[in-house]
Amino acid sequence: MKEVFNFLTKIGDLKGRDRRGWLLHNVEKPETTAEHTFHLALLVWILGRRKDKVDLDKMIKMALVHDLCEVYAKDLTPYDPLLSEDSEKNRKILEKWPEFTPEMKRKKEEDKRQMESEGLKKLTADLPQNLKEEIEELWLEYEGMVTPESRFVKQADKMVNFLQGMDYWRKEGKIRHDLWLRWIKEIIDEPILLDFLKEVEDEWIIKEIKE
Amino acid sequence: MNEKKYYLTAEGLTKLKSEYEKLRRTRQLRIGGRDDAPSALHSEELNPEFVHFQDDLASIDIRLAELESVFKNTKPIRPAKGKVGIGAMVTVSVDGQEDKLLIVEALEADPAAGKISIESPVGKALLDKRAGEEVSISSPIETVYKIKKIDHFTS
Repeated sequence: MKEVFNFLTKIGDLKGRDRRGWLLHNVEKPETTAEHTFHLALLVWILGRRKDKVDLDKMIKMALVHDLCEVYAKDLTPYDPLLSEDSEKNRKILEKWPEFTPEMKRKKEEDKRQMESEGLKKLTADLPQNLKEEIEELWLEYEGMVTPESRFVKQADKMVNFLQGMDYWRKEGKIRHDLWLRWIKEIIDEPILLDFLKEVEDEWIIKEIKE
Repeated sequence: MNEKKYYLTAEGLTKLKSEYEKLRRTRQLRIGGRDDAPSALHSEELNPEFVHFQDDLASIDIRLAELESVFKNTKPIRPAKGKVGIGAMVTVSVDGQEDKLLIVEALEADPAAGKISIESPVGKALLDKRAGEEVSISSPIETVYKIKKIDHFTS
């Protein structure tokens, strides 16, 4: 039980960990990693129920574990390889979508997965073997994006991030909604999530632009 | 009825085959080399562990069958002459920025690595277009993708 106690107290740190992407955009009181995970797990549960032939329990667990590695691993953003100590330069970089060659994109993703995998291994090292294996397998499946469950949860993660970004745009005007709209349309192909995207556009973006 | 055909890159096919082998090994481990539940789980009464075991096995079997169907119906990628299709590396200019997008089946999409699903709004809009053409993505804010170059990959 001591191992479980240690694990549960460590993951509690994520309740106070502001997400770096929002901090970079100077969002006031940004959501924490735990808040993002809560939002994702509910989105996966509620929208995932509409999807046939998937293991919904597994998808919800996948959502719950997907960012646990951040107890030890840095919460990376797509902009990280381009940022420096120069805040003025960084501000200009954030005005555009980050540009990378296909090789750079691949390398960036490989490095990210390596770092996160090490973070997760460190976090789960002392857990009972079957629990440790279950968490690691769920995370590997999520990152692999081969199964229908992992593809859905991966896209749902982007969708909930998009939803949060659009909320900050509406409330604080600090997110480039046009860039985010372009980005999300390259990422989502799940029909259920595309329907949800249409709802976000109708309810928030179109109304906000008209006002 | 025509079954869906899949056009996968060599990398995508390898990834799916690896998942298939992993699932087969998992199935073997679950049943301990038998075709039914471990005897410890058999009971005259409804045993929740037995029900869970059967559900688990059934979902593995469904996924194995799906993957077998994908392998049976995988065809070599044939580059669409001068047009965007699966396996095309498309160089686009968007909002003054240049990007390279590899168009792939939904099964092997990985947008963070530049692999865009043919079923995403951008993938669908680019399909069958030629270099020099402009594609507008209809959304509350119009985004125009200008196709500068198309390179093809075969499987």
